[in-house]
Amino acid sequence: MDVSLCWRPPAWTVGEKRMRTAPTLRRLLSALTLLHVMVQVNSQKRGALRDLKCTTNNLQVWDCAWKAPLGAGHGTVNEVCIDDRLHSCYPLEKGNVKIPALPPGDHEVIVNYLHGFNGSSAKFILNEQNVSLIPNTPEILTLSADFSTSTLYLTWDDRSCAFAHHSKVTWEIKVLRTPRMELINLVTFNTTLNGRDTVHYWRWTSDLPLQCATHYVGIRCYLDHLHFAGPKEWSAWSPLMNISWAPESEAKAFPQDKVVLVGSNITFCCVSQTKVLSGQIGKTFYPLIHLYGQNVAIHIQNISVSENSGTNVVFMIEDNVCGTVVFAGYPPDVPQKLNCETHDLKDIICNWNPGRPTGLVGPRNTNYTLLDSFSGKSVTFKRFETLTNESYQLLFQMPPHQEIYNLTLTARNPLGQSESAILVNITERVCPHTPTSLKVKDINSTVVTLSWHLPGNFARINLVCQIEIWKPNSKQELQNITIKGVENSSYLVVVDKLNPYTTYTFRIRCSTEPFWKWSKWSSGKRHLTTEAIPSKGPDTWREWSSDGRNLIIYWKPLPISEANGKILSYNVSCSSHEEVQSMSEILDPQHRAELQLVKDDYIISVVAKNSAGPSPPSRIASMEIPNDDLTVEQAVGLGKKIRLSWPPDPNVTCDYVIKWCNSSRSEPCLMDWKKVPSNSTEAVIESDQFRPGVRYNFFLYGCRSQGYQLLRSIIGYIEELAPIVAPNFTVEDTSADSILVRWEDIPVEELRGFLRGYLFYFQKGERDTPKMRSLETGHSDIKVKNITDTSQKTLRIADLQGKTSYRLVLRAYTDGGLGPEKSMFVVTKENSVGLIIAILIPVAVAVIVGVVTSTLCYRKREWIKETFYPDIPNPENCKALQFQKSVCEGSNALKTLEMNPCTPNDVEVLETRSIIPKIEDTEIISPVAERPEEISEAEPENHVVVSYCPPIIEEEIANPAADDAGGTSQVVYIDVQSMCQPQARPEDEQDIDPIVGAGYKPQMRLPINSAVEETAAENDADSTAGYRPQANVNTWNLVSPDSPRSTDSNSEIVSFGSPCSVNSRQFLIPPKDDDSPKSNGGAWSFTNFFQNKPND
Amino acid sequence: MDLRAGDSWGMLACLCTVLWHLPAVPALNRTGDPGPGPSIQKTYDLTRYLEHQLRSLAGTYLNYLGPPFNEPDFNPPRLGADTLPRATVNLEVWQSLNDKLRLTQNYEAYSHLLCYLRALNRQAATAELRRSLAHFCTSLQGLLGSIAGVMAALGYPLPQPLPGTELTWAPGPAHSDFLQKMDDFWLLKELQTWLWRSAKDFNRLKKKMQPPAAAVTLHLEAHGF
Repeated sequence: MDVSLCWRPPAWTVGEKRMRTAPTLRRLLSALTLLHVMVQVNSQKRGALRDLKCTTNNLQVWDCAWKAPLGAGHGTVNEVCIDDRLHSCYPLEKGNVKIPALPPGDHEVIVNYLHGFNGSSAKFILNEQNVSLIPNTPEILTLSADFSTSTLYLTWDDRSCAFAHHSKVTWEIKVLRTPRMELINLVTFNTTLNGRDTVHYWRWTSDLPLQCATHYVGIRCYLDHLHFAGPKEWSAWSPLMNISWAPESEAKAFPQDKVVLVGSNITFCCVSQTKVLSGQIGKTFYPLIHLYGQNVAIHIQNISVSENSGTNVVFMIEDNVCGTVVFAGYPPDVPQKLNCETHDLKDIICNWNPGRPTGLVGPRNTNYTLLDSFSGKSVTFKRFETLTNESYQLLFQMPPHQEIYNLTLTARNPLGQSESAILVNITERVCPHTPTSLKVKDINSTVVTLSWHLPGNFARINLVCQIEIWKPNSKQELQNITIKGVENSSYLVVVDKLNPYTTYTFRIRCSTEPFWKWSKWSSGKRHLTTEAIPSKGPDTWREWSSDGRNLIIYWKPLPISEANGKILSYNVSCSSHEEVQSMSEILDPQHRAELQLVKDDYIISVVAKNSAGPSPPSRIASMEIPNDDLTVEQAVGLGKKIRLSWPPDPNVTCDYVIKWCNSSRSEPCLMDWKKVPSNSTEAVIESDQFRPGVRYNFFLYGCRSQGYQLLRSIIGYIEELAPIVAPNFTVEDTSADSILVRWEDIPVEELRGFLRGYLFYFQKGERDTPKMRSLETGHSDIKVKNITDTSQKTLRIADLQGKTSYRLVLRAYTDGGLGPEKSMFVVTKENSVGLIIAILIPVAVAVIVGVVTSTLCYRKREWIKETFYPDIPNPENCKALQFQKSVCEGSNALKTLEMNPCTPNDVEVLETRSIIPKIEDTEIISPVAERPEEISEAEPENHVVVSYCPPIIEEEIANPAADDAGGTSQVVYIDVQSMCQPQARPEDEQDIDPIVGAGYKPQMRLPINSAVEETAAENDADSTAGYRPQANVNTWNLVSPDSPRSTDSNSEIVSFGSPCSVNSRQFLIPPKDDDSPKSNGGAWSFTNFFQNKPND
Repeated sequence: MDLRAGDSWGMLACLCTVLWHLPAVPALNRTGDPGPGPSIQKTYDLTRYLEHQLRSLAGTYLNYLGPPFNEPDFNPPRLGADTLPRATVNLEVWQSLNDKLRLTQNYEAYSHLLCYLRALNRQAATAELRRSLAHFCTSLQGLLGSIAGVMAALGYPLPQPLPGTELTWAPGPAHSDFLQKMDDFWLLKELQTWLWRSAKDFNRLKKKMQPPAAAVTLHLEAHGF
């Protein structure tokens, strides 16, 4: 605001004086001017208006207020004058002044001071643009709440702004909530003023139930007046109004029984006087949000669909519980597949699929309303419980004479609604009920009437009904009929072209025109049509009896389609040119009659009769025209059929008859017959009686006016099989190199096919040979002859060996296979030259062999003896095995000989002796001896290697050098006492007893010899110890194992000289008397393998 | 609360056997008026059978109510179920009751409980639950008839329903679903307690009415109850 203040009278004075004074006074004037300016400035400071503010709330009056200048109170101002044309002044009221609204433009306002300033005034420029438009504070008329929906309802009017017509007003509403009076919601709301006092409504739904906390509401407004140039400001807030819930004594949870959309966020609270311990939804516990007092809340985000009885929200309180149930579900889906049709044109049935389940049941279940917009009628579908999809259907009663319906199905639940519509012409949507009460009535044997009941009023439309006619052993037949609909629901149609005496099953279903749907089939109705006379006479044939006197008439029972009823009897009559002879009736099960005829030229007629009457007669001539030119042919069938063909015969005028019989039957032979038309040239005969492997005779007759003539005779098989027997055959003649065989025919019954030939096998063989080779294996020694000439009955087999047994086999075969075999053994006659040669040659060979052998044996007798029968030492003397078990027990080194397989080793006899005549027995050389590198060093000049078993004796004392060089290949004998004496000592006293020492004894049990041996050992060590007999010298001379003396010897003389002591370190070789004749090494070299035997 | 589902078919067969034998047995052993003994036995057996049937029903129904009602340790205070007849009674008080009073209390209690059960059936939202409830209501109706029979046999008059009682006993005016569920929960609980109590009552009465030693009655053990 442009405000200025002037001090006018002095200004005028200063101006006039300057005009009149001389220039010399200019300096004085300048000084005065400066003084004036100073005063002016000083006076302005003292009278200036501070914080001047002008507002208006109705555009009529401006209300200006300011703070008084420094040093002056309001009481010093008496009026405010506006410098306009009227120069109107307004008294100042309480520090502000109300000025009527001024026109646009600047206006000078003068404030006249009454006191203190000596009539001075202040003035300022006032413009509309400097005035603020602040509407009056609006007032809330009412504030109410719907606690069940947590909705606040607010009303107010626009009285405070009513002056500003057609102006826009913006209202701002704030909602606060305890305990912290936080701002929950702030909304703006625009209206336009219309000059009248209008009441405005606003509602707001709280996310927190209103019961849970006190809610406050305030309002203010903003007036947007188009023609006001000054600034516009919000009004002040109205006084707050609140909504609160009067808590009950019992704790309660809110919101109660609320239905919400699945996935929404929701807050539950518990208003309680006591402390709430926990809050849960279903099974899930949620953190408590404390509101005020003991009130708490829990907040759930994205709630899931509820179970049938809703989701329980439970708050556990110290001594109580409070809870509520929330129902989370979906709004109803759009009803799908809405389909409306009628069964009877009385009611419309609409069914639909509800689509997605809403999750809401019971009172919140979806209800459906079906409304026809043309008639305005509606029906409602309301179910409490959950339903299957098929159950959603509504029955809508049709108003009379209305055909077209615009049906709208609306689904509603607490969360919303949806709808689906259909426009139908109901006469095109008729699915009739199932026809009932189906009845059949005979008109005649081929025509019946069907009547049924079809509920509904179809008088305005046509029905199309389908009749299913079914008879046994045939395909069902469908007949469509169109009938005019009637009101009384009874319908009747005629069904014709039926067969007489046939059981039919009828059923019916109906639809309408135009076709929409078939009804269900009615239940079937069986009906037997009445009988009619047989349509044909029976199929007849005649056979002359074997004596030619009687004619036997055969006929086949009529098929049911031709009998037209139950055949009761047959009438057979015969007639010639002169007379008609009638026969009496023949009752049904019999289908043949025998006539005694004096002539052979009759016409026989057979008539079948049922209750409706006789059939047309079937006639057959009795005469048989002879045929001289008759051949017998063969035929083989295929499967169960046999095909016969013949050339066309113009003489045949009536028909052909093929009769057949089993060839093995006697005359008159007739199994069956078949008639074929006279223009046929072939027939396929098929019968269940045909059996494979059975020969049948087929006879083809041609019918001429005067009778039948046999045209062809055929023998045939349905299927050929192999013969079941072999032909009987005999040997007619035998020579040294040939055999003549003769066989017989196989009977027809056993042949089972057309004979194609014989197979004749022969081979050498004896009757008693346990197993002859199979004929099929095709061995080279089996010869086969194939006889394809079936008339051949003999066969000569040549080029045989004399005096040899032959096996002959004969088999017959057909196209069905080979028959069984029959065999016979025949011995050809003897050939004498061969026999003589056969005896002489072996004898000569045997003599020559004997002579040569004898000569050789004589010449080599010495070698033979040495090789096969050398002298054998007696193993009984082998005392080396007589260890005392107890003495050497536990010593692995002192084991008795084991009979395990062993590797022969060498014994090198190092001592050079001139008298060892038999030791050249080098055949039994150990493989070890063949290893030159092992024996080379230790080998003396004349050593002899002898097989020795086993080689575990090591040289320790006698020849350390040899041990090093030769390994185990050398045998060294050590002192017995030095090795075993400590163990042997306890036994020594016993062993001293000479009686005890009988038989085998361990080698250390020799106290007598010990001293001798000791010295002997020393001596041995000195002299190169070659092989020596293992016996004590003393005993050696007395006894040897093989000696007869030793066999029962129990003397004190002990023998321990066996070279077979294997694992022991026994001293085997005595020190002296090496050259005893009995210690001949060659004597035991072979028998050492049997060393244990005497001890056994 | 131990409410477990069991083999209801087996129990039904057992009950049928019991019921089949009941009329025959006294006739075998006694001549003339059999007295109230058989009908007390029958009522006792029916009570045990209902106890078993309730176990199955309660399992289904509490699952329908949803958690935490079907949780075994849920034991809320009795809210809003004050109109239900209480079965619990001090032992001394119970012992001081005479037969007539006991039977009358039983009869009245089951009359009330049956009303509640029927209302429950009307509100059930699944067909299976409705079938189960209807079956149980039929059985409970049978028990009421049996008790009436026993009272008639003993010469006690049936309690007369006061005018308007049916209305007051019906479940109260629409209160919240949660309170309704609490009522249902307590109804099942009270039913179970009442059946326990009745079994005890009838057993006591049965022993009291037992004929002298000369007259033998067949005691059928209903296994599994």
